[in-house]
Amino acid sequence: MATRLSRPVYVIGVGMHPFNNQRLSSESMADVAGMAALGDAGIAFAEVGALYNGYLGGGVTSGVAIAKELGLTGIPVTHVENASATGSCAFGEAVHAVGGGRVDVAMALGFDDMNRMSGLGRGKRGRVGAEDIMLPAAFFAMWATRRMHDVGTTVDTFAQIAAKNWNHARLNPMAQRQADHEVTPDEVLASTMISYPHTSMMACAAGGGAAAAIVATREVAERVARGRPLVRVIASQQRSETYTDGHVFLGAVIGPAQMTRDTAGDAYEQAGLGPSDLDLVQVHDAFPVEELVYYELLGICADGEGDRLVADGATRLGGRIPFSTDGGLTARGHPGGPTGLAQIHETTLQLRHEAGVRQVDAARTGLCHMAGAGSVCVVHILQRES
Amino acid sequence: MSRTPTDPRLFRLPEADDLRPRLLGSYAERSGLYFWPRRKRCPVTGGPVVDCDLDPEGVLFAWTFLHVPRMGSISFGDSGGYGVGQIDLPEGVRIQAPLVGTPDDWQIGSRMALTTFPVGQDDDGNELVTFRFEVIR
Repeated sequence: MATRLSRPVYVIGVGMHPFNNQRLSSESMADVAGMAALGDAGIAFAEVGALYNGYLGGGVTSGVAIAKELGLTGIPVTHVENASATGSCAFGEAVHAVGGGRVDVAMALGFDDMNRMSGLGRGKRGRVGAEDIMLPAAFFAMWATRRMHDVGTTVDTFAQIAAKNWNHARLNPMAQRQADHEVTPDEVLASTMISYPHTSMMACAAGGGAAAAIVATREVAERVARGRPLVRVIASQQRSETYTDGHVFLGAVIGPAQMTRDTAGDAYEQAGLGPSDLDLVQVHDAFPVEELVYYELLGICADGEGDRLVADGATRLGGRIPFSTDGGLTARGHPGGPTGLAQIHETTLQLRHEAGVRQVDAARTGLCHMAGAGSVCVVHILQRES
Repeated sequence: MSRTPTDPRLFRLPEADDLRPRLLGSYAERSGLYFWPRRKRCPVTGGPVVDCDLDPEGVLFAWTFLHVPRMGSISFGDSGGYGVGQIDLPEGVRIQAPLVGTPDDWQIGSRMALTTFPVGQDDDGNELVTFRFEVIR
């Protein structure tokens, strides 16, 4: 099942436009992120051999239109879409384009504004029924109530995870949610109830933004390194659903949780390491129950022990294995197309030791996980080479 | 005025001696698995499936209550929101659907049954109905 790379692939440049709720032009934000990534890599767009654009709401041909601003170089430009995992899949396509020998340099560029997307809950021919798509807030709330029943998780644990990510975002200038004070779990619990047990401060920040990453062969990476450490993509894996007991075919936002465990297993096998080798992790924390469950599905702890990680502060910056170091979907934000690429941006900075006040000490290996409705799961593992 | 399912591919209204509506599923003999909605073939073996009606009663696996009064164009009026749940049917199928009642009514493990509720009219003036689950008392 696991896919392979036939030659090493390195991240040579990353860039972002801050995630925001200002309804800015996606095209402008994409241009900022794309040019920032080119500047970070120290290359011109003419060196890019293939471009993979990730967006959900940009409309037909948005990707190639944006590419024209970067340069009319004639390269293949491809639109990638896989719901929340769109940016991660665009990155995966770029990685495989280089790793498979198609090109020496490839770029993934994600842009979107979740506020401009519509249609959730709208049924066929304008009718809405019980069979229509379920709001993510409700779907993941059912993960939460079931976990509370099975494991005894409390709403306080969910609030602690959300507060942690809000506070991580305070250290990240690219984050959408910028609290002017230390956010407390009590504050999270006191915010508006959306879908029991989820409050508004537990829900991911929907907004706009853009992010980009450029990957290349080792030869190119060494040429443009300028004294910086190389960051290698040591695993790039993507899965869709396999049948599990209680499989929900209609209305599920994402498929069985097992999909994350399977995709991570593929990634660990490809990377030749395990969860104990990770220094930091980014996940699809659209709601805190997800982050909690992913602690276990990614193998960071045994099943049912995720709550203890939270209680011990292990997943905070400064803890044993920090999660969502840039604020995660919770607070860095979740525009759609660029979200997974923001994870790559953050992890690359961390592994170069360029993350400033949120730097994870001696970070060497980082994992990025995204789930997308439909559903898909994507896991990348990046590693600093000394 | 007659009643019409919002999507006749997913469920049918009670017929003859039926007390409740039925969800329309598939059964795959080779894998022994049931599915909903109907499948073109077994997603596990690729083998053939046959149409079947699923049991209208099951057990509540998970639930939540959305504190918004609308789901798409449906208003849940003064209830302050609406419940949704996942219900496990005896065939091994898990259904995701709205629930009748309030959070005080639901407990994981509750016995639930399929029922209908009106959601408006179609262009011919027929009453459109969809389905949800209620606690069996």
